[in-house]
Amino acid sequence: MTDFHPQVKQLLDGELTLAQLPPELRAQGEEALRLLAAVDREPVTLPATLDARVLAELRRRAETPSFWRRLRLRPWTLVPAFAAGAALALLLSSPAPTPATSTVTVRFVLFAPEAQQVTLAGTFNQWDAAATPLVRTGAPGVWAATLILPAGQHQYAFVVDGARWVPDPAAPAVDDGFGRRNSVLSL
Amino acid sequence: MKTCCVALLLVIAGTPVGAQQGLAGRVPPEIATLVRQLATSAAARGIPVEPLIQKAIEGSAKGVPAERVATALRALAAQLDAAAAALQQAGPARPDTAAIAAGAFALNAGLSPRDVTALAQVSRPPYSTAVTLRVASTLAAMGVPAAQTVELVTQTIASGGPATDVLGLPAQVMVGVSHGRGVTPAQAAAGLTRAAAARANAPGQNRPKPPHP
Repeated sequence: MTDFHPQVKQLLDGELTLAQLPPELRAQGEEALRLLAAVDREPVTLPATLDARVLAELRRRAETPSFWRRLRLRPWTLVPAFAAGAALALLLSSPAPTPATSTVTVRFVLFAPEAQQVTLAGTFNQWDAAATPLVRTGAPGVWAATLILPAGQHQYAFVVDGARWVPDPAAPAVDDGFGRRNSVLSL
Repeated sequence: MKTCCVALLLVIAGTPVGAQQGLAGRVPPEIATLVRQLATSAAARGIPVEPLIQKAIEGSAKGVPAERVATALRALAAQLDAAAAALQQAGPARPDTAAIAAGAFALNAGLSPRDVTALAQVSRPPYSTAVTLRVASTLAAMGVPAAQTVELVTQTIASGGPATDVLGLPAQVMVGVSHGRGVTPAQAAAGLTRAAAARANAPGQNRPKPPHP
């Protein structure tokens, strides 16, 4: 494992840009960014046959009588279940979900050797900094998470140790309107 | 009766007003009020409200002071209006909310209203305006100059390939940058534009009108 210069680590953390690195460190910085970009950043498209396989399995199971189908239900026993379902639907409907036409599996990676905890927050999880933790990978200092996201455009940032919002150094970024940067992912 | 109440609740939850209720407890009351005002006005004009809700939640999640969140919300509302106006310049069809949201994002990424109009004009099935604008804004965010972004997307559409050709442009630029030492996003985009133009000029291709008259 290459031990990068501290300023190169700052580059990987999004705290410095390549242009801010001293000239003698730029080659190392470019190399570090290339290495990071190569770590499973490629979106994975689900096989086209997946839908058909899932539907076939659902049909097969539907044809098999299950415990629930054998259970005799009286109408009034459905009221609590219906209420619970409605409550769940209300919880899940804020904000209103949009139908996803297709999904893409994406692996997010951050090199943060000093971090104790890294999470991911973005438009796909309502900017909830606690919802999507990254886990340490085998490589020292490298954190990763794999998500299945709907096709479209997503903005996100890593949250280091619950407080520091860090843009993805391997992705393009835009002004977030608050003086910081959000990373951009188009699927 | 219970069934009716549940059905009513579910209907309310599916509306923008229902979505705004998700702000309760996640943003300060003054921000929730501002979002409600901006969203009500926006929805009446066919402008999407979801970006406003997301921006309010984002600001609070990041611990941004309420007054700064309010400023960002007003700026975003203005961008959504500007994007809708730019899309209306592109043709008689009323722009859909996905295209307006993508247009506002493109403006934030550095494209001009004129660029948004130009990209909407060249977008035609199977290239949706929203997808074209999302790709263009990603290219701009990568550092490809706006005029070059418009030219690259236009030439790629003109080359007549599948929609995935446009979707794959940011990845292709990134590959060009990472494989060539010292290659800038602009240079990588220029190479892709030349290749797309060559394909577009090949016999049998229908060229679109140039975006900038």
